[in-house]
Amino acid sequence: MSNDFSQFQDAFFEEAAEHLAVVEEGLLALEQHPEDLDLLNKIFRSAHSIKGTSGMFGFNAVAQFTHKMETLLDLLRNGQKAVTPAIADLLLRSTDCLKTLIDAAKTGSSVDDVTVQRLTEELAASQNASGSQSMPQGNGPSKIKPASAGPELYSYAIAWAPPDWLFQRGLDPQQIFKELADIGTLSQVTVDATKLPELATMDPEKCYLSWRMKFETAKDRQVVDAVFEFVREDSVLTITEEVQGKELEVRGEESPSFVTPDGTESKPKPLGELLVESGVVSRETLNKALSQQKRVGEILVEQHAATPQQISQALQKQQDNAAHAKKGTETASIRVDTDKIDKLINLVGELVITQSMLSDLGARFEINQLPVLLERMAQLEGNTREIQERVMSIRMLPIGTAFSRFPRLVRDLSAKAGKKIQLVLSGEETELDKTVIESIGDPLTHLVRNSADHGLETPEERLDNNKPELGTIRLNAFHEGGNICITVEDDGRGLNRDKILAKAVKQGLIAENEKPPDDQIWPLIFKPGFSTAEKVTDVSGRGVGMDVVKRNIEGLGGTVKIKTALGKGTVFTLKLPLTLAIIEGMTVRVGKETYIVPLLSILESIQPKAGAMKTVIGKGELINVRETYLPMIRMYEVFALQPEYTDPTKAILLILETEGERVAVMVDEILGQQQVVIKSMEKNFRKVDGIAGATILGDGTVGFILDIRGLLEIARRGVAA
Amino acid sequence: MSKTALVVDDSPTMRQMVAFTLTNAGFKVVEAEHGRDAVAKVAGGPPVDIVVTDLNMPEMDGISLIKELRKMAAFKFTPILMLTTESAADKKQAGKEAGATGWIVKPFNPDLILKIIAKVLPT
Repeated sequence: MSNDFSQFQDAFFEEAAEHLAVVEEGLLALEQHPEDLDLLNKIFRSAHSIKGTSGMFGFNAVAQFTHKMETLLDLLRNGQKAVTPAIADLLLRSTDCLKTLIDAAKTGSSVDDVTVQRLTEELAASQNASGSQSMPQGNGPSKIKPASAGPELYSYAIAWAPPDWLFQRGLDPQQIFKELADIGTLSQVTVDATKLPELATMDPEKCYLSWRMKFETAKDRQVVDAVFEFVREDSVLTITEEVQGKELEVRGEESPSFVTPDGTESKPKPLGELLVESGVVSRETLNKALSQQKRVGEILVEQHAATPQQISQALQKQQDNAAHAKKGTETASIRVDTDKIDKLINLVGELVITQSMLSDLGARFEINQLPVLLERMAQLEGNTREIQERVMSIRMLPIGTAFSRFPRLVRDLSAKAGKKIQLVLSGEETELDKTVIESIGDPLTHLVRNSADHGLETPEERLDNNKPELGTIRLNAFHEGGNICITVEDDGRGLNRDKILAKAVKQGLIAENEKPPDDQIWPLIFKPGFSTAEKVTDVSGRGVGMDVVKRNIEGLGGTVKIKTALGKGTVFTLKLPLTLAIIEGMTVRVGKETYIVPLLSILESIQPKAGAMKTVIGKGELINVRETYLPMIRMYEVFALQPEYTDPTKAILLILETEGERVAVMVDEILGQQQVVIKSMEKNFRKVDGIAGATILGDGTVGFILDIRGLLEIARRGVAA
Repeated sequence: MSKTALVVDDSPTMRQMVAFTLTNAGFKVVEAEHGRDAVAKVAGGPPVDIVVTDLNMPEMDGISLIKELRKMAAFKFTPILMLTTESAADKKQAGKEAGATGWIVKPFNPDLILKIIAKVLPT
């Protein structure tokens, strides 16, 4: 039995993240509806929760900062201050800062102390010094003195007249005497019953008695005070200390708290703080000095000890490390509705019943029971399928969690770009795999930024084009078959065919006289280094291009499609698998081996005519598919197998697409389509080129899942060799 | 015979920590997310020996919960502890007026919760 709270830390971080989201969303909404008291209460509650719980784990920086936010929120909530845009903005910036503080508590990453300090002061200033309350002194020394060396006995005279409603608060004088008796010796206890009324008028639920007693103890004064903790303020209580003839008398007034969490250590204060405290310099002077303080990197560059490149590389590394640390502690925990678990337990129960019926049947099976057996098998299949679905659904989270960052992003973007933008979210409840949700955040962010920065026009330009001043970005998610579709839509200027074409010609991607159809032009923007933006802004053009978006999405087994109309807007449609653990695959046979091809990458399958194949020196074998030549890969050559057919006109060619490249892969036979569970090669064996993973097939044998990208590379290498 | 504690807090982490501490100390713990949930849970549940409740909660806050409980015959003299932060001095007063027996100041450690409970729980 361990009474250690550290096991709850992960839960705290998860909960804190949720509360942060509530605070942020709430503040954004508050900007629109500054009078909404419910909203304020909600924000306050979340901030309050973060404060309370973070203190429990000794994250004092978090607790103290949240306390400052909470105090301001409380003033807003009580109507003592009005919600102004400036205050909302301050609170939003503070929320960001709080995020970094919590991250720091989680990963040990560093915190920008200057920002924390500045925001703390801004928060304090915004409260107009109105009754600033003290923060629980988590760092402070314990109020309870360590037990003194000698068994020194203190002696007290205690007179206690409790309030008459003592019992109504669930308090019992006996408890107090018991507690006193536990820590010392009670003597000469006398009860004063003079206030006791006549029996007829007596209210049995009231306390009419008061007491006097002598009390001897080795414990400190605070410990004695603590005994009366819950009643002191409302009682007439005198505790008179009789030590060395000197009498100390303390009336029952509010004393400082008697508890502090143990196990926290105080951090030495920075020099600047000490100087301010001792009055050597003023706070303003300190802040000014701090703002002039140079970063180590800058100093090193000035002294020519390092080049700016080296510094920026080191900084990059630092960031990567921080990001890595973050990933490392990204706990693999997931919160599941108890409902889902209950259903699962139910189903497992059913499975056990089916299993026992089957083993019972197997123990004394006769052939005439075959129909029963088949029926039970069907039942087993049903159970298994349902359990599979339920287990998968445990990993499913509503996509809203990935969407929640966008209102803030769009707000900031519109302020930065001087555009008026509204964000419309829909389909937030659509569920998909946790891993997928975590991985689509960045690509989505890029697409939204892209829409805000390049897609939407300035308000003037929009008015000139007879469009409403307010631009709209829509994010929508919905299920389609076994996939989830996410659309990022803007009603901006649309992609400019001529501009893209000109750029593509300039980069040598297409010939100058070529006139490709639209649907071949749009994907050009996914090429690395392709940007038609005239100027690089703070928002986009920071090296992360649309090519990364496409690569990320394809890495998840998804696709990106573009629909656009000049002057009307652009729609990016992301199509993603619901989960990464199971894929929809096509099983194919080469010789005696079975392989699985991810269904999403298959365009078509053909049986070529004789003469469609060409061998080009340096490019290997090509095949003519409707006037386009595609590289052809003979699977049996890549994996050194004994095939049934070596003649492509007798075998089957699968036309596969990956990252915009197409390739024809030759197999003996297509067996069928099925869902396969991906097993990692790296975890169970080692990485094998051209193989993305393995799975266990219906007959118990292992089937390999093809990695189309890897196959293409093998084909290229094979040619080069 | 183990005692039953009702733990009311909207923060699952906080609730679990209190519940965990009490369970380890041999209590049977009934958890509730907020005041209304707590009222619903005590209605048909086992007799409760002690209540530990947060104050800031959605639906029904801690103060209202204490008032509701004190109206019930079964909770007339039951010790009710509120979880407070030190800064909320006015809340403490409001809690006392509503009938709270005492308070546990956050942040707390397991020993402190048990100590305070021992202080108010009739033996």
